[in-house]
Amino acid sequence: MIGNVNAVFLFEWKRALTLPRMAWWALLALFPVFIVGVIRFSMPSEEQRVMYPIPPEQLRIFWAFMLYALIPMLVSMLGTLLWATPAISAELERRSWVYLTVRPNGGTAVLLGKYLAAVTWVIPAALIGLTIAVPLADTGDGWRMWWTMARLVCLSCPAYGAIYLLLGTLLPRRALVLAVAYTLIFEFVIRIIPAIINKLTVQYRLQALLVKWCQLSLSDPGERPSGVQALIRIGDEPAWQHVTILLLLPPVLLLIAVAVLRWSEFSASAESDV
Amino acid sequence: MIELRNVTKLYGKVIGVNDFTLTLKPGAYGLLGPNGSGKSTLLNLISGQLRPTLGTVLVLGESPRNNAGLFRRLGYCPGSEGLYASVSAFDWVRYLQQLQGMTAHEAGEAAEKALELVGMTQAMHRPISSYSRGMRQRTKLAQALAHDPDFLILDEPFNGLDPVGRHELTAVLRHWIGQGKSLLFASHLLHEIESLTQSFLLICGGRLLASGTAQDVHAMMVGLPNEVALRTSDPHALAALLLREHAADSVQIKDGLLTVATPQPGRLFEQLPGWLKASGLKVSEMHSADESLQELFNSLMKLHRGEL
Repeated sequence: MIGNVNAVFLFEWKRALTLPRMAWWALLALFPVFIVGVIRFSMPSEEQRVMYPIPPEQLRIFWAFMLYALIPMLVSMLGTLLWATPAISAELERRSWVYLTVRPNGGTAVLLGKYLAAVTWVIPAALIGLTIAVPLADTGDGWRMWWTMARLVCLSCPAYGAIYLLLGTLLPRRALVLAVAYTLIFEFVIRIIPAIINKLTVQYRLQALLVKWCQLSLSDPGERPSGVQALIRIGDEPAWQHVTILLLLPPVLLLIAVAVLRWSEFSASAESDV
Repeated sequence: MIELRNVTKLYGKVIGVNDFTLTLKPGAYGLLGPNGSGKSTLLNLISGQLRPTLGTVLVLGESPRNNAGLFRRLGYCPGSEGLYASVSAFDWVRYLQQLQGMTAHEAGEAAEKALELVGMTQAMHRPISSYSRGMRQRTKLAQALAHDPDFLILDEPFNGLDPVGRHELTAVLRHWIGQGKSLLFASHLLHEIESLTQSFLLICGGRLLASGTAQDVHAMMVGLPNEVALRTSDPHALAALLLREHAADSVQIKDGLLTVATPQPGRLFEQLPGWLKASGLKVSEMHSADESLQELFNSLMKLHRGEL
């Protein structure tokens, strides 16, 4: 079984080393760098800041959230969404699924192999983007920022990869639509609802870790938060709890995806080609 | 080898396979039916891709759904193309053999051997997108044969092949059958199946219409109306004779060939020599249900539809 997963993983990686896919990969890695660069060079200069001083902590918070939004959030989400979601639907559309599933544990191997390929494809793009973007942002605590974001990337990619893979297994014909809907509704809208349901989102865990690991002081006690800080809802859970949940999420979701896969019928001939 | 007990497969309100009961011993079988007759559904049930809505499917004594042990012994060549355009035939077949449980080295050797068997050695390192349809068919067959399965299921494997390709692959499959291995070969073309086996299953509308050898089915046809084509010195005179003797329902003459629709082919074949002798007419050529599997197929289809 491990050999089968490894075979799929290597085959998918080999297929990914084409010019168009590498271009997408580079775009994914460099997009955050571009945005950070644009912001950095449109910021007031040192001389202008003398007249309108920005407190260093506010600047650090701004960069922390900007880097977070661009890399562990955008790059991880988008990368895994594009790679993991169509794991089955792409094979069904190509009508190659049947060739894979008449092999011993073929479907499971394809699912897990493609998951690993997606995660290991997105993480390097995110880390490269991060490595260039952090010095460009000049946050003042570059190493801590990099280390925090890198850990968040390594937690978010496997988690989102597993979520999108499961959604793609549940409804392969509408996989991308379902994944986008999930992301918008669950990770963006429900995340900011001040209720216990927001604890079910990955964003809740990641943002809590961001605040804790970067030691961000969002607002003074008694002060009403404003702007992006108003959208950040951090619970009292310790960091280890968030990390444990994020680490447990992928294997649990993958097990469910495998169970769904073994139960489902994905024959390309259904109805249209009786 | 295959046992289906009252198998029904529904796609919502559409019936794919309808109350199918069948037991096949090891051997080579042709699955014959027109497009949309349920061949692909049946093969998907046998290969474990689909679960029957009702009934039981057993292949080599086991349920084929998620059965890793069975898939080691099964080779399947689906009707759909399903190939990766940017990958070479060698890489693709090797990949599928790795999924079969082989190491990369073993899979490479098996892929090379199978591709050689189907005549793809020269082109096996080229991307599949550059292949003709016939080359793709050969590649598909190679992936099914490479792990040396006990039982091979082929769905329209000769589609797109040129006559030389058909001849070559027929030889490969004959050799396969000759080794005592089992084969289930689906096609809508009779001559493809006839070139490999005389044992066939005829399905239509998701039902098994007939099974057995061509002779078995012929026995079922005694007394059924049929079409017989005759080439004679005077087709008009022979047509008049057959109508007068009530041996034909209708006659058609085209390019000197007389086609007779007869309700009793047995009586026609029995009495025709006497009528010809008495009338002095000569028949140089005759095609009938006795000789053509196509006629059997057409007649059974009509019988099934209630047209006879």
